[in-house]
Amino acid sequence: MSASQEQETPLRDPASTFFQSDRVRRLIIASYWVVILLATPLWWHTTSIERLSLPTAQVQYQAKTLLSFPIAIRLDPSLVQDDPSITGKLQQFFDTKGGQWSGLSIHVEVGSEAGMLSWSAIRFVSHESSRLFEHPWHVFLPHLADILATLLVPYSSDPDREYRIAQYSPRFRLSFTLLNEDAAAGQVITGWDLTNAIRHHVDPIVTALSILHNFTIESQVQFHAPLAFKPQALDNESFGLTPEDLTVFINSAEWTLSSSSSNDPVLHFVLFVPSSVRKPLVILNPDGSLSHSNSFLIPQWGGVMIYNPSDDSSPHRYLSSADLDTLFPAFSNQLLALLGVPGLHADVRISPDDNSLLSDWQLDALLRRRAFENDQGAKDTLRSTVKLVDQIENMPVGQVVRDDVWDALSALKKMHFVSANSLVETMRLSADAATHASRAFFNPGMLALLYFPPEHKYAVYTPLFASAMIPLIAAALREFLAWRRQHQQVANT
Amino acid sequence: MLWRCCLVLIGALCTPVLSKHLSNEEFREQVSLQTLQDGRVASTFSFNILLKDATPREPRTLIFDDESQHYNLFPLALGQILREYAVTELHLTLNAGKWNYDSWGYPKERDVGTGAALWAWMADGGPTSIDYRWQGLRNALAGLFCASIGSLDEQRTTSPVLPFAPEGSLPDWGVEHELRHASLASEHVCTENLTPFLKLLPCKSLSGIASLLNPHRLFDADWHGMGLHVLWNPDAGVEVRLAFQLVSDPLRISAGKKQDWSFSTLFDRTIERTCPVAQSSIVDVALPREALYNISPEPPRIDQNVAFYDLTNMSEALDVKLKWALDFTYPLDPLKITSMPISVRRTLQGASQDRGQLSLVIKNNAPFPLQVLYLETMPWIVQFYLHTMRVSSDTSGDDFISNISYVPSVPHSRPATFQAVLTLPTESTVYLTIDVTKAFLRYTEHPPDAQRGWDLPPAIILPLSSSNAIRSEFVGRIYTPPLLVDLATPDFSMPYNVIVFSCSLIAFIFGNIFNLLTRKFVVVRLGSQQGTSKSKHD
Repeated sequence: MSASQEQETPLRDPASTFFQSDRVRRLIIASYWVVILLATPLWWHTTSIERLSLPTAQVQYQAKTLLSFPIAIRLDPSLVQDDPSITGKLQQFFDTKGGQWSGLSIHVEVGSEAGMLSWSAIRFVSHESSRLFEHPWHVFLPHLADILATLLVPYSSDPDREYRIAQYSPRFRLSFTLLNEDAAAGQVITGWDLTNAIRHHVDPIVTALSILHNFTIESQVQFHAPLAFKPQALDNESFGLTPEDLTVFINSAEWTLSSSSSNDPVLHFVLFVPSSVRKPLVILNPDGSLSHSNSFLIPQWGGVMIYNPSDDSSPHRYLSSADLDTLFPAFSNQLLALLGVPGLHADVRISPDDNSLLSDWQLDALLRRRAFENDQGAKDTLRSTVKLVDQIENMPVGQVVRDDVWDALSALKKMHFVSANSLVETMRLSADAATHASRAFFNPGMLALLYFPPEHKYAVYTPLFASAMIPLIAAALREFLAWRRQHQQVANT
Repeated sequence: MLWRCCLVLIGALCTPVLSKHLSNEEFREQVSLQTLQDGRVASTFSFNILLKDATPREPRTLIFDDESQHYNLFPLALGQILREYAVTELHLTLNAGKWNYDSWGYPKERDVGTGAALWAWMADGGPTSIDYRWQGLRNALAGLFCASIGSLDEQRTTSPVLPFAPEGSLPDWGVEHELRHASLASEHVCTENLTPFLKLLPCKSLSGIASLLNPHRLFDADWHGMGLHVLWNPDAGVEVRLAFQLVSDPLRISAGKKQDWSFSTLFDRTIERTCPVAQSSIVDVALPREALYNISPEPPRIDQNVAFYDLTNMSEALDVKLKWALDFTYPLDPLKITSMPISVRRTLQGASQDRGQLSLVIKNNAPFPLQVLYLETMPWIVQFYLHTMRVSSDTSGDDFISNISYVPSVPHSRPATFQAVLTLPTESTVYLTIDVTKAFLRYTEHPPDAQRGWDLPPAIILPLSSSNAIRSEFVGRIYTPPLLVDLATPDFSMPYNVIVFSCSLIAFIFGNIFNLLTRKFVVVRLGSQQGTSKSKHD
């Protein structure tokens, strides 16, 4: 019967055409899969985020390593000849201090200047020795310990002062601004002899701190600087600023104080001249009494001084160098406070034949403080970076970030290495580490794909891939089953 | 008596001190008001700050720390930018609206191109390239003025030296100075740009002439624009000119047909206090020539039909009022009475999103032939077919165009600069057409509100002073209005739907082809109806 039908239809059996053979069909399906498999790495490469591995273990290790400065206190043999036990007592005093003294390992010994390292052994000479040594030892010893404590760790005593200090930066902009509240109302200060005032009052500080910071100094005069509030009128025709007013004194919307041309932090020093209709302007204490000070400090921002010019002067006035000499000491004090320069103990004076502004004690304490601050800052930033990268799987980590992290780590390592030898070098390396760490943390490349979650990716891919993959998988499966059945039949026969 | 003598003595002593200490900086302010032919009033504010004996920073000193900047009047924020990027000469204009040359004549402040335009002359030889500093300058000014100047990137930056010659002097440092120019016609100028502008003034807007700058009225005007110009003059020093110009329409706010105006009607403010540090503070009002009018208060000085008021010794608030005796009648044919030597019209023709034709029509109104420089700085989204350029005129003759220079655009990076000298015969019109092609942009290159189209910067026509008999006041740049070009824009509104639709289509095609390639064709033999049913029964 089939033979007769074959004769009836002139059509060829489609199964006999060459592309209908099982082999060719299987090759076609296989080639699809080969292309897909070969393309997968390419697809993976082009759509994946570059995530270089960060040295997490090293960061954790560094975070645990504490910076420590060895300090040797050598007492002149003449001091201890009466009572040799003083060395031990002093050592005991420092040993019991613990806590707030962390990072300093103090060693008290007796010896002369000779053979001392240039920096770590600081000569302690009491200028009032003649008077001081008249006291018996049990009075003198706590006093000496107290002085040494203030000189070595001047910060721990007052957290308020600590909070004022501006964060470390290798370069600060010092911006001096003379603000006339309302020049058109009458008296106007047209300018100031700032160059001389800076030379006398600011330059010594700048020079003394040149190992810590570089400074850019700039100044401007403004003729209209309205306040955002009305000062309180007092009984004696003066106007008062309450402590609440001081917190909103800076009217940054109206005063053009900040600059946009660089990223260096700015310390502002504002000389505010109240309008002639609102004069004199005084600062009030919290209890409403007049404050004897005419200046105030804004933590980490700068200082403000209120200057009430005398009434009898002409409508235009220029502040001469002599005028500024009375005003600028307040600014230099504010600058020292903002930069964290510690004061000396009341009983300690700088030797008269040493004409530098700061003693080595103050400078060393400041260097140590800044080194601790930078070290802590760098470690915190590094830890945060590593943690953040761990937590957010879509965050790209490029070569630049990794290099910065490595640079910060190596600076920290070097810092620990030199901390016993050179304070200045330690400080420089800690600043380096902090800079690199924060640059790595704020790298703009790390934000690129932060807000592109994988769900979005699947939403884009599924409409194409699902509908294309289903026939492919089905065909492969069907072909595989057919091949197995065929295989079994062959085996059975 | 003695007391008075003392006061005089103190005054005498103080004056030299004051002049000595203020002598290295000077501030002058002036406002000029002028009634235009169509009844509108053009006010031009100009604030000049001079830093005497100062020089721009030499780029080679950029490797060192800069000297301290101490200013009394000069704006520190601007000084920092100028020195940070070692800019010798700087011009920034932010304008809104179309300056109607034919009825308003030449503006007092010449640069009235719509949108933002920035150009600067900078010397080479620094540690960083000019382009790098140009980028920094753009970003710094964008921050200072709250404008999108930062987007004036290399896709918009050209260097047309001829029409933008330095207005001051360029110091001779033995290194070459280069020009960078960029404009952004789509920039909208508004009060957020004015506030930082006012902060650069010594007296802000709280006293002196600047107190007239009331944003509510300025941005209600028919045309308004501000400019910042910094240039160096070896004899004087570094000069900063801050200018604000507006055209207000008193006819619009008046009940009748009167074109009377006063400070209070134009600005809703009067000048109540003088700026104490201004060396000169002048209000000048151009008086009408052929009409009956009344000006109050009585001007202390009238010179060549211009009334001058000096504010430095002002005793009471100044509110200048100008009143006409008769109603205003519109001039019937504005073109007939135009004071401009040339009128320009530029259009982009063609409806397709693919091709178009740029057409420029320049009419010479002067009774003598003129030569003008024609400049197009075209972003790469519109590309010229230079060979299709046709120049013709309604008078006989040829050679209307000469000295063509053309820097072709580079897609995605550089705009084209087309510069040519056009010769305009006496009282004739010259037509220039050129075919253009419009680019097909990448998905991410479209701006927000892409359907609106792209603003093309204005063309610039500069009458060449070498032309005979042209008056010196007619040699400023003339800006054409900007053009709007419609590029092929995708549908941004439903990207996911687009993805789903196109993926479904691709999957469908893929499935079909795959099916065809792998389908097994077999002949199914159907027996007769009977045979089939029989087998079923089996």
